Amino acid sequence: MAETQNVYEIPIGPIHPALKEPIRFTFRVEGERIRGVDIRAGFAHRGIEFMAMKRNLIQTLYLSERICGICSISHPITITLAVERAAGIEVPPRAQYLRVIYSELERIHSHLLWAGVAAHELGFDTLLHLTWKVREQVLDLLEELSGNRIDYALPIYGGVRRDVAPEQIPKVEAMVRYYRGLLDELLDAFLRDPSVEARTRNVGILTPKEADSLCAVGPTARASGLSKDVRQDRPYLVYGELGVKAITPRDYGLEPRGDVYDKAVVRLLEVAQSLDLIETCLYEMPEGEITSFPKIPALLAFLKKAEGEGLGWHEAPRGEVIHYIRLEAGVEEPIVWKVKAPTYSNLMSWVPMFRDQEVADIPIIAASIDPCMCCMDRVHVVRDGSPGTVLKEELLRLSRAKTDRVTRHLSPVPRHGGGL
Amino acid sequence: MTALHLVWQAAAVLVGGGLLGLVYKGFDRKLAARMQSRIGPPLRQPFLDVGKLLVKESIVPKDAVGWLFKAMPFLAVIASFTVLLYLPWGPFPAILRSGGDAILVLYLLAVPAVAMALGGFASGSPLATVGAQREIVMLMSYEFPLAVAVVGVVWRLATLGGGPAFSLGAIAAAPLWTMVGPLGVIGLAILAACLLIVTPAELSKIPFDIPEAETEIAGGLMVEYSGTYLALFYLADAAKTIAMAALVVTLFAPYGIAGLLGLSGAGGQAVDLLFHLVKIFVVMFAAVTTVRVAMARLKIDQVARGFWLQITAVAVAGLVLLVLDRMVVG
Amino acid sequence: MTADQVKKALASAVPGLEVELRPRPVGVRTRVEVPELWAEIPREGLVPAVAALKAAGPLHISVISGRDTGEGIELLYHFAAGYGTPGGEVTVTLRVTVSKADPVLPSICGLLPGSETAEREKIEFLGVEFTGIPSTAHVFLPDDFPGYPWRKDDPETAKLVNRLVEWEGKNG
Repeated sequence: MAETQNVYEIPIGPIHPALKEPIRFTFRVEGERIRGVDIRAGFAHRGIEFMAMKRNLIQTLYLSERICGICSISHPITITLAVERAAGIEVPPRAQYLRVIYSELERIHSHLLWAGVAAHELGFDTLLHLTWKVREQVLDLLEELSGNRIDYALPIYGGVRRDVAPEQIPKVEAMVRYYRGLLDELLDAFLRDPSVEARTRNVGILTPKEADSLCAVGPTARASGLSKDVRQDRPYLVYGELGVKAITPRDYGLEPRGDVYDKAVVRLLEVAQSLDLIETCLYEMPEGEITSFPKIPALLAFLKKAEGEGLGWHEAPRGEVIHYIRLEAGVEEPIVWKVKAPTYSNLMSWVPMFRDQEVADIPIIAASIDPCMCCMDRVHVVRDGSPGTVLKEELLRLSRAKTDRVTRHLSPVPRHGGGL
Repeated sequence: MTALHLVWQAAAVLVGGGLLGLVYKGFDRKLAARMQSRIGPPLRQPFLDVGKLLVKESIVPKDAVGWLFKAMPFLAVIASFTVLLYLPWGPFPAILRSGGDAILVLYLLAVPAVAMALGGFASGSPLATVGAQREIVMLMSYEFPLAVAVVGVVWRLATLGGGPAFSLGAIAAAPLWTMVGPLGVIGLAILAACLLIVTPAELSKIPFDIPEAETEIAGGLMVEYSGTYLALFYLADAAKTIAMAALVVTLFAPYGIAGLLGLSGAGGQAVDLLFHLVKIFVVMFAAVTTVRVAMARLKIDQVARGFWLQITAVAVAGLVLLVLDRMVVG
Repeated sequence: MTADQVKKALASAVPGLEVELRPRPVGVRTRVEVPELWAEIPREGLVPAVAALKAAGPLHISVISGRDTGEGIELLYHFAAGYGTPGGEVTVTLRVTVSKADPVLPSICGLLPGSETAEREKIEFLGVEFTGIPSTAHVFLPDDFPGYPWRKDDPETAKLVNRLVEWEGKNG
């Protein structure tokens, strides 16, 4: 067996308890040391960019929300920014503040989600349960504001779809207070726990030089000490006025090492930063319209006439999201829609991070960039060895056909013509 | 004692031990859940788990060494249940007893781990192979401090002339704490602490669940086991949990409370047995449940280094104190 | 980094290059203009241009987007020049068009290793080739995936859809 050679292969994925979404790693392992890794993505590839070519822009907006459940604010915000730029739509000031509030709420829930997952990867389930318990608070608030725990359907071209009502403001304030009071405990539980430190310190190191040349983004780059944050560097919405500063481990009084511990430091401190941003926006937000196109048919008609191309960018919880869109007059569908999610940029940084680490470190290193496969992969179906790209209509038809088959199979009396 | 009587007693201990192991597992899971602010499974969940596993299909992988793969769960169960026969149960002496049974118990406790490792190697999965390698490294790491702790205590007793040498029955009958000098008390306390640290490692519980490490190697050793074979390993684990906790109680706290309560006869024995079970529970709760709730999983090299250097050093220090105590007290 | 610096760097690398500045007004209380540069560049000019951008300051590639224009394939390289300068990043988009008969471009992985994923994705989806790319293995699609999904005239993509319709007819 494998013992005859020193180096043998361990497959992790596409389905594995360490992975929350499908991806395949093939590790070449010597004893407990990783000597090399081969990464294959695409298991959650649904051909979303391809699907958009058959949809009008409003439908595409909803499609963008379904790229990923966690980034269901980041992608819509980015595509609206790109389309607004291409079509020349102005966004009312209040809507810009609201977008910031919503995206910072998303950041809090995403970072807490990550913290729980990271704890689970370390085998520290207590911390997982506690973190996810406190995460409920921000999800409740998102539900209060949008009606949903995920897939909020908030941004729309030219503004947002829901306002924060005066009676909801105390609830937002209560959430901010709740997390402020909890932050010390969270930092204590993650950063001062000896067993967590033993598992994360000097594990999965990404040097600043590697982070820079591999174009890493988001907390992955910031943990290596690079002060890069789209909100800080490339202003959009009202982030330029809010004075956002990229958070690195230096803000916690540590010299950045780029290991998993540093990534936890950055993400937890960003929760505090998001709380400040939400509070500022809540008080500075001017009164006024929340969208420049209150009527959807008017918006669609305007977009159909629009011509041009545009870029939208946003700092999602995991890093830089960028969308490119090209519109042509008279065509409802986008001609090109390119989505770039943070994990796409961070994919390459896994290779140096895994080098010479132990098998035991695989889950936490894989989790440390907070990978989002469904964001990165965007249908391909393989059946009977024949791969095929499936359009939505096809899927719908297939699904209906299957429902039919199942019903026929289940019902004791075969269905005839009109009635059951 | 007639042979029939012996068989009857042994059956009681084996069945009782197995049931008790599952009940304690239920408590362990429920209490851990409460500490993690979860509701947790009902107390009878381990029974349901075993019941369900027993009716499930047992799959032997194509690449596995079939006979070895199937034999190992039985070996693990036999070894861990045999330990139960060698342990005194509060007021009742052990079913099987002889001089040197303390050493025998040490070996028997290692057998399930070896069986799991062999089963892992035989299952032909790379994940199980990694798990098996880790199990062997773990075994080599914690065996020495474990042996030092157990042997230290029984040796000190032997030097004081208490009963047959290296016998668990003798130590249960004559608690050492009051017989040794102050140095000895410190030495015993150190050895007790070491044994408590070894307990979760012996039982492969967090932070030492490295051979099974769910998020890393998807259950490792156990990844290919299913149905009856998995149920057997589950039972072996339940019995081993009881055995390990009972060993700690027997070595360091073999006291009864019947005398204090002024009870004697059958009532006293019943109270003492109950007290013994409570002590086992307390040891399990302290050394397994709370520890696994409060810590992250360690890495194999961290565990190996920790046991070989720090824990071994501490255990040897405890032993040295006992030796010094022998020189002083005699 | 300012837009002028970037423009100068590009102009020195590719003489005669026309760089269009599309300022992007941002903000509510204090309006600022975030510079966006767009340039159409011949494929020979790509590597010198990227080298010049890199020499001018920290460079980040966001992504490469692309489309089938009918006659050729248009690739858009989206960069952020001056990456990590607070309020001072300049978005640079270089547009390169290659003919379908000769869809070959130079790889910029040598200058910017982080662009490998983006280039490999374009190989899978648009059927272009990059000279000097470290690996051409697929990232997202299966290795034996026929055709290139983003090509409008790709017979393989049409075939796939048809095959599925047939498959459904047989199994439905």
